[in-house]
Amino acid sequence: MGKRELKTAFLLALRSLQRGSRSSAILTVLIIAMCFTNMIFLPSLLNGIGQSITKQIVDYEVSDVLVDPKTGNQYVGDLDTTLDLINGMPGVERATPHFSKGATLMYHKRVLGTTIRAIKPNDEKLVSPLYTKMTAGSYLGNDDVGEIILAKPVAGDATIKEEDEFQPSLGGVRVGDSITIEYGNGYTRDYRVKGIYYTGWWEADAAAYVTWTDMEKVEGKTLDYADFITVKAKPGYSPKFVKNELLQYGVADRVQTSTDVLDKNMGKILKSYAILNMVSLFVSIVITTVVLFIVITIKTINSRKQIGVLKAIGVDREVIMHAYGFQVILLSLMGIALGVILTLLLNVYMEYNPVVTVDWSASLYITTMDLVMNSVILFAVSIVAGYVPAYQVSREDIQSGMRA
Amino acid sequence: MGDVEVKALDGVTIDIIKGEFLGIMGASGSGKTTLLHLLGLLDDPTTGRIVIEGTDLCNLTDYEKTMFRLYKFGYVFQDYALVPDLTVMENVSLPAMLRKDRDDQKILDDSHDILKKIGLFDRRDHLPRELSGGQQQRVSIARAMVNKPDILFADEPCANLDSENSRMVLDLFREINEEMKQTIVMVSHEPWHQEYFHRIVKLGDGKVISDEINGHGK
Repeated sequence: MGKRELKTAFLLALRSLQRGSRSSAILTVLIIAMCFTNMIFLPSLLNGIGQSITKQIVDYEVSDVLVDPKTGNQYVGDLDTTLDLINGMPGVERATPHFSKGATLMYHKRVLGTTIRAIKPNDEKLVSPLYTKMTAGSYLGNDDVGEIILAKPVAGDATIKEEDEFQPSLGGVRVGDSITIEYGNGYTRDYRVKGIYYTGWWEADAAAYVTWTDMEKVEGKTLDYADFITVKAKPGYSPKFVKNELLQYGVADRVQTSTDVLDKNMGKILKSYAILNMVSLFVSIVITTVVLFIVITIKTINSRKQIGVLKAIGVDREVIMHAYGFQVILLSLMGIALGVILTLLLNVYMEYNPVVTVDWSASLYITTMDLVMNSVILFAVSIVAGYVPAYQVSREDIQSGMRA
Repeated sequence: MGDVEVKALDGVTIDIIKGEFLGIMGASGSGKTTLLHLLGLLDDPTTGRIVIEGTDLCNLTDYEKTMFRLYKFGYVFQDYALVPDLTVMENVSLPAMLRKDRDDQKILDDSHDILKKIGLFDRRDHLPRELSGGQQQRVSIARAMVNKPDILFADEPCANLDSENSRMVLDLFREINEEMKQTIVMVSHEPWHQEYFHRIVKLGDGKVISDEINGHGK
C-alpha cells in the first residue's frame, strides 16, 4: 500500500462519513462514546471510593505515618520526649498525639454514648484538615477548657424526631449550647459547644473533640502518654522516608506508614475493586467489539454492490478494506473524543453530587492515564472490530458483489 | 436435485480490433453480458483464453488483473454504478487517483477535459443523485475514459434510459470512438443501437451466431 492508495482510501472513507447516512454515523459515534463512558465509569467510581476512604483515613485517622504502641503496651509513653524527637527530624512537618476516652453525652433529655478525642489543636491543624470542616462555630484553641466541638451527626437535627433518626444524636445541639459529659472514669462536667464539624468520614463524624489540657483535667494528671501519634511528612518527603528515619532515630513504638496501615485494613477491599474493574472492562470491551463489528458488517453488506463496482473499475481490495478501516478509525476517534468529554462532564457532576453513604462519600477518580489507557484499548478494539468485516467483504469476488 | 451445469458461453472465439466500435447483441440469456465480463476480467472462464496484445490474462494474479483493469480498461454499467457519496469530479477522477503515472495536476486536467467533453463540467461539484439518469451515465462514461483505456466496455449502458438520453449516450460513444480512436465493446439487445456499431457479434445460447461488419454503421 502506497501513499496514493491510502489517500484514495481516506477520501472514500471521509466522503462516506460526510455524505453517507448521518444518523448511522451519529449513532455509531454515540455507541462508542457510551462504551467509553461505560468502560471508565464503574472502575473510576470504585477507584474513587477506594481513594476517598484512603484519603479520609489518612486525613482523620493515621496521617502519613502512624506511631502506636507495640504489642503488649497500652499507650505510647514518654510522650513529650517522643514528640520532641519526632518533630526534630528532617522530613517531619508535625507530629501530634491522640487520646480517646469513652463518655456519655447528655443534652436536654437526650443521652448518647460516644468517644471523646483529645487533641492538641494547633499541632492537629498541621496534620489533619479537621479545622477546615467546621460547619458552625469555630475550631478549638490550644488552651480551651470546658469547650468541645461536635460532629454534625452527633449534634443532630432539631427538626428530626428521635424515632426518625438514622443514627442516634443529641437532637439538635447548636453552637453555644451547654452539654453534660460523663466520662468512663466518672468525671462529669458541662461543656460549651464551640463548633460543629462534618468530615464525611464516619469515625470522625461519630466523635467529639476536646483539648489535651481539658483531657488532663479529666484524667486528673499530666497526660504523658497517648493512644497514638500521627505524623505529617513535609512536602517532598515520602512517608516511607519518615518511617525509616523514625526507626533509625530510635522511636521505640510501632511505626507504620499510611500504606502499611491501609494494606492491612483496605487491601482485600481494594483487591475486590480491582476484580470488579477487570470484569467491567472486559464486558465493555466485548460489547464495543460486537457493536462495532455489527455496525461495520451492516455497512459493508449494504455496500457490497458498490464494493464490486469499485473492484471492477480497478480499485484494489486493500484500498477498499482501508476505506472501511479509515471510517472505523474516524468514527472511533470521534466516539472516544465524545466519550472523554462525557466522562469529564460526569466527573464534574459527581464532584458536586458525590455518592454519599453513612460511612463515606466518594466521587469519580479519573487520571489522565485512565483516559489514555481506555482510549487506546477502545481504539484498538474498534480497529479490529472494523477491519474484520471490511477484510471479509473486500475479498468477495466481483461478480458476487455486483449482483448483490 | 443437484446443481445443473449451464454453459453460458460455448466455443466462442472473437478478435477485437483496435479502434473499432464492437456491438455484442443477442436475446436475453444469450451470454452477451457473460462474454463482456470475461473480456473485461470481471469473471474467470472455466476454460479458454483471453489474450490482449500477447498477454494471456487468465494467468494473471488477482492483483495483476486489478491493475490491468485500472490501466487498460474502462467500464460503463447499465445502472451507472457511480459512488453515491462522491461528487461528479471525484467519481471521474477516482480511477486516475490510483494510477502511479498520474500526478495531482494531471488528474485534475484529465478530469476537467473529459467533463468538458461530456458537457458536465459545470456540474462537477454535484452528487450523482442530483443528476438525471442520462447525466449520470455520461459521468460514468467520463469515469471510464479518464484513464484513456485501451478498451472501453459498456454493458447495456442505455438499459435504464429513455430513447432521447439513449441516443445522447450513443452519440457520445461514437464521438469518443471517432475522435479519440477509442476501442469500444458494447453489449445491447436494442436493434436500433446497431446503427452505431462498426461490427456486430450476435450470440444465441452461448454461441456466436454471426460476426459481421455493419454496413450501416455510421
